[in-house]
Amino acid sequence: MKKGITVAVYSGVSKSTTFIERLIKGLVKKNVNVLVFGVANGKCFQSKSIKYHCYGSKLNKLIRLCKYTLLLSLFKPKDKIRLDEIIKSNTIEPKRVLRLKYYPVLYYKPDIFHLQWAKSIKDWMWVQEFGMKLVVSLRGTHITISPKANPFYKDLYLELFPKVTAFHAVSESISKEAEKYNADPDKINVVKSGLLLESFQFQSKKQIYKPLKIISVGRSHFSKGYSFALDAMAILKEKKTAFHYTIIGVEEDEKLIHQRSQLQLKKEVTLKESVSFSKVKEELKDADVLLLSSIEEGIANVVLEAMALGILVVSSNCGGMNEVITNEENGFLVPPRDINAMANCIMEVKNLSESDYNTIIKKARLKIEQNHSHEKMVSGMLNLYKTVLNN
Amino acid sequence: MRIGLILSASPGYSETFLKSKILGLKEKGHSVLLFCQKSNPDFSLCEVRKLPSVSIRKGALLFKLIIAYLSLIPHVNCVIKYYKLERKEGVSVFQIMKKVYLNAAFFKEKLDWLHFGFGTLSIGRENLAKAIDAKLAVSFRGFDIGIYPLKHPNCYAKLWNKVDKIHVISNDIKTLLYSNNFKDQAPVVKITPAIDVDFFTTTQNKENDSIQFITVARLHWKKGLDYTLEALALLKKQGVTFHYTIIGNGPQEEYFKFLAHQLNLSSSVTFKGQLGHDKIKEALSEADIYLQYSVQEGFCNAVLEAQAMGLLCVVSDAEGLSENVLHNETGWVVPLRKPELLVEKIRSVISLPQTEKDGIIQRAKDRVKHEFNVNKQQQKFYEFYENNR
Repeated sequence: MKKGITVAVYSGVSKSTTFIERLIKGLVKKNVNVLVFGVANGKCFQSKSIKYHCYGSKLNKLIRLCKYTLLLSLFKPKDKIRLDEIIKSNTIEPKRVLRLKYYPVLYYKPDIFHLQWAKSIKDWMWVQEFGMKLVVSLRGTHITISPKANPFYKDLYLELFPKVTAFHAVSESISKEAEKYNADPDKINVVKSGLLLESFQFQSKKQIYKPLKIISVGRSHFSKGYSFALDAMAILKEKKTAFHYTIIGVEEDEKLIHQRSQLQLKKEVTLKESVSFSKVKEELKDADVLLLSSIEEGIANVVLEAMALGILVVSSNCGGMNEVITNEENGFLVPPRDINAMANCIMEVKNLSESDYNTIIKKARLKIEQNHSHEKMVSGMLNLYKTVLNN
Repeated sequence: MRIGLILSASPGYSETFLKSKILGLKEKGHSVLLFCQKSNPDFSLCEVRKLPSVSIRKGALLFKLIIAYLSLIPHVNCVIKYYKLERKEGVSVFQIMKKVYLNAAFFKEKLDWLHFGFGTLSIGRENLAKAIDAKLAVSFRGFDIGIYPLKHPNCYAKLWNKVDKIHVISNDIKTLLYSNNFKDQAPVVKITPAIDVDFFTTTQNKENDSIQFITVARLHWKKGLDYTLEALALLKKQGVTFHYTIIGNGPQEEYFKFLAHQLNLSSSVTFKGQLGHDKIKEALSEADIYLQYSVQEGFCNAVLEAQAMGLLCVVSDAEGLSENVLHNETGWVVPLRKPELLVEKIRSVISLPQTEKDGIIQRAKDRVKHEFNVNKQQQKFYEFYENNR
């Protein structure tokens, strides 16, 4: 790829989720000029190849608005007039907010505008009118849940997906989902999430804890299915299985706090606040089982991380999870929302010998090395960008 | 008698319970003054004093503080008394000044009773009643004692020693007081909710081709609609044809709608959104079985309304529901969080002979009419305030 290609990685904020930051890191390494727009909430990188054009305080917003109004008026007056017309036609959001969001993007005009979250697709269709290529990532609840629960998003995707230059799908299954909303399969590129494997040191299991240490990591959202996990824990307790279950990222979740109390699981279940990525790794290393109780997923990054580190995974068989886990080979799959299957599977894991446990986690690590390396993800994304620009 | 009632907002259109309480007290010659942060312009049952918002914009703060403090000059004795009570408990001067500003409206009123409509509203305001020489009453209705203290343990420790009378809406709620360290420091009076039994009546004969289920509930996790949907998915798998109507909106709308989709129930479930009284009545009159499989529930007026309308009611055993519906007498009570038990019960209800169904329906109608009517509730509230003097 020629040097100097510019890609805007847009997630709405300057410091995004770990997997988006990993993508940025990889692109910068490959000499791609990365532009970050949106709300300033911190920075992950210092590099000549990455430029942050983000807004923060009220004063900062005012200065930026004036700056880009002036720059566009001086250097791209025709473009500015066209964009102002587009802004004028948006009757929902305040014009001032739209100018603040759009002007810097128009001024720097990246070759590719890579939108990370599909729900805001309507806000960014305009970039294509100015020669920028729009790439939309198909990831998370934006694809797997929202259009099913809310006809607004279903209609929005049905209308706009056929007009998008290209898509990046995080799994085969999410790619199939997007096809239901008229996304052209030829325009969808599956690039699975990748890990910087050198920072995920594999460790084999010396001894399975007694009581069994189970862990889940993820935000407090219904898609994570934690209430099903707690119901499964109640079954484990009823069957007198010794365990401790920790959920990281849900300390304040009223529903789970109430459920834990109602099911009398206070001793067995700890609900923890979100912690830094390095602490998550420490917590994972100290567990026997990573439980993914989700009712819907793309491919959960925490599962990839656990598999890389050598933590056995019990996951619900939703979304793209079966693209990474082969049941009883490199982890375990249970039907989503099936609390009995979840409990039985955990009991099965508890009874594994250390050698069987190690065989499974070694296969899991191999799967990650072969399919989810950072290198593979970044080259996949570069190929996608290259194809988009060549067409 | 002059009663100050504190709510977060003035009662809306559908809040029969609170409105009938106010009306009843007025009819018996008491005056009621409502304190709330949000006032509904349509509300005209009694005088309303608006309370300032807890978050104060810095720019307007000084001006607002000066106005509030100046307006309290004629009531300085109450404020001094309040100041002393708070200081005795180690509250900082700054905090007291803030509290005086936020609660200024109370110091200006001569009240016999200060009654907090929900337990959570009384937190941090335990000394107000004594400062203005009023008696302190608090109502507990569900969330305030069943959920809030889980995140805020001992949040009522101060209250228990200062409250003069406690109102609960069910026996289970009363039990929850004790699990939150209440030690009978004040009398506890149970007054269950009531409904307009003259409005919720029906004579319509139902001729449904398939079974019509209905729930009227906020789309909130505590309503247990996820377990209800799981149960109905099992019922569908067993080949029973039905339709389920859910009336209400709320924060978990996306979750429940997604679940209906994932459970392959999209064509069997209708989410109607929030509806007014008349539309709810219409929907109830067309349904056969009312489901309320909550995981937490104070008492639930909607179940009373469904019983009054002649629906067969299947409910969970969350808190007040097992008092609301008497198992095997006026409906059926199923252990909570057990969809397989719920579906079993639904199947057995469906297969009951019509005479047995009619018996249950009639008993439920009669019980609601006699036990949960507005007049009875009004009389009990009258006695609640009278008997303490």
